[in-house]
Amino acid sequence: MVEVPLEIYRKSPQDAAPHYDRFQIEVEEHTPVLTVLLKVRDEIDPTLSLRYSCRQAICGSCAMRINGKSRLACRTPVGPEVRLRGRIRIDPMGNQPVLRDLVVDQKPFWDRYYAVKPYLIPDPAHPLPEGRESPMSPEQVEQFRETPRCISCASCYSACPAIASDPSFLGPMALAKLYRFAVDPRDGGYTQRLQAVQNQGLWLCLRCNLCVEACPKDVRPAERIVDLKWMANQELGAREPGSRHAIRFASNLTEGGLLNERRLAVDTLGLGGSLRQLPKAIAMMRKGRSLRRHPPIQGLNEVQAIYQALDRPEDLAHRERQKGADVKGPRPPLPPKATTQSAPPPSKGGSP
Amino acid sequence: MKVAYYPGCVAQESGRELDMATRAVAPLVGIELVDFPNFSCCGSGFVDEANLTLNVALNARNLAIAERAGLTRIMTVCSTCQGMLSLARHTLKENATVARRVEETLRPLGLRYEGRAEARHLLQILVEDLGGAERLKPLIRRPLTGLKVGAFYGCHLLRPHDHVEFDDPEDPHSFEDVIRALGAEPVDYRGRVLCCGFPIQFVKPATAERIAGHQILDAKAHGADAMATPCPLCHISLDGYQKEAGRAVGTELNMPIFHFPQLVGLALGLAPAVLGLPRHLVNVDGALARIGAVAVPA
Ligand code: SF4
Ligand code: SF4
Ligand code: FES
Repeated sequence: MVEVPLEIYRKSPQDAAPHYDRFQIEVEEHTPVLTVLLKVRDEIDPTLSLRYSCRQAICGSCAMRINGKSRLACRTPVGPEVRLRGRIRIDPMGNQPVLRDLVVDQKPFWDRYYAVKPYLIPDPAHPLPEGRESPMSPEQVEQFRETPRCISCASCYSACPAIASDPSFLGPMALAKLYRFAVDPRDGGYTQRLQAVQNQGLWLCLRCNLCVEACPKDVRPAERIVDLKWMANQELGAREPGSRHAIRFASNLTEGGLLNERRLAVDTLGLGGSLRQLPKAIAMMRKGRSLRRHPPIQGLNEVQAIYQALDRPEDLAHRERQKGADVKGPRPPLPPKATTQSAPPPSKGGSP
Repeated sequence: MKVAYYPGCVAQESGRELDMATRAVAPLVGIELVDFPNFSCCGSGFVDEANLTLNVALNARNLAIAERAGLTRIMTVCSTCQGMLSLARHTLKENATVARRVEETLRPLGLRYEGRAEARHLLQILVEDLGGAERLKPLIRRPLTGLKVGAFYGCHLLRPHDHVEFDDPEDPHSFEDVIRALGAEPVDYRGRVLCCGFPIQFVKPATAERIAGHQILDAKAHGADAMATPCPLCHISLDGYQKEAGRAVGTELNMPIFHFPQLVGLALGLAPAVLGLPRHLVNVDGALARIGAVAVPA
């Protein structure tokens, strides 16, 4: 058994400011935070408001901040949290306005989800077969990576510092969803989807990986966002500062093996943009921090040989997909349409 | 302990004070640095966005170079270098396609990475390999008594946890343990595990500066007199762009930002100039006065 000092965020619509209510509850180490909260609600304070349903990490409705970390309350045991912090502080999810206590208005989260068109966009070149399934090869299913596991709990969204500072960012879940449709072999919206996210702040992701740690289903949104950046680079080229920075950073190293900071600033920002950095450069120079150019590293020829061998489209095959139409790949042959009356059943079962 | 020293690009160029401090502190805590003038850039979280295989190969080369010299520890002093070298090691383990291409590419160069060498950040080495507080305490010459320090970890040293395998990815304590051992008082604030804004400094400066501003304000609100970071890119955001960050959050911030080894060096009695402190854009004299270390002009 463990004594759990609980601090629960409370706010009703009529309250000017939130406050914390404190409770002391004794439960087993492995008891989920949700169970403890329900104990508080059922035995002490029936006005405590929270969302939950399945109590087994399926419905995605019980996300909240537990000791600052965005988590599903139903699958977070109290023991480790008490050991870590000596108490458990419960806050509502981040990046969404609070309605009451732990219940937030999820509109900003769902708005971004709908903004990425989370449905198949028909592909006129490959119309879906009528009246039967459109099978995928195991390799094609692999391309989704972990994204189909998402239960839309918004833990990642709650944890995302880019959203907190810039509402034009789409956020981890919506981008992971967009990735899932962009690589779907039945989808016709590849280029259009990538263009749309270029303009809606794909490049605002900080790669802080807080979404990866927050996600209860290991969807790894940050890594799919890196994939999307890569796909956008391939499909659309160095169109704006984000992609220009990534692409020019890569080529920057072929000259000396180490980063030439001055050169990168000019390449990414353009001459005008880097001139605007001039006051900063002068402030740094005053402190003895002029940007010297590194002498080339020893063994630069090895670095150049690596570039020669790998800086080619076919070596992007690690992504196990190619760009554009090739993402679709050849469709696996369709099984013969089931004709229930005439033909004898196939000897070996294969089609579902 | 002998390590292959991997300073990374910034510590060799705009952030040379980090390299100065590292070289001054390492022998005092028992780390012997071996230099490798053939190490290349780690890719900094940008090259892999253009081409992951290429980025992994560059770092497999770095790891192979250390391994060839019989060293299994590459010591980084940058959260991002640490993250990128760890990403390479992780990818080579998990992704057979990349591993094969990288091996084919390195073989004609006479290089082969066998998986023995791994990157470890100076903070990691101090805390996990050298005994942390126990090691440091007898070495303290100038305890940082009275200084309240907000540790600022830098994302890539902590996350994703399955790549870097260090401390708790969202609620770590290693840095605070060291701060305590140095005689200072660590400040508990949420921003310590958040982003500094650096990755989007070139994409959308206004947002990047707002992010940096929020973290500094958060540390300040929790009583910090100074902040310290194990990442020179965080240092650029928090120190180099602090004026802009302050403008973005509508207040003057005036927060001294130390590189991690500078803070250690001060407690070990090293002179501020030796640690490159006069090179910072935000003046650190207030913090130095508090611990009785007078700033000497460079
Ligand atoms: S990695 Fe990107 S999407 Fe994920 S939490 Fe950080 S900023 Fe948000
Ligand atoms: S990606 Fe993970 S954390 Fe985000 S909504 Fe989906 S399941 Fe929840
Ligand atoms: S209650 Fe359904 S996920 Fe927690």
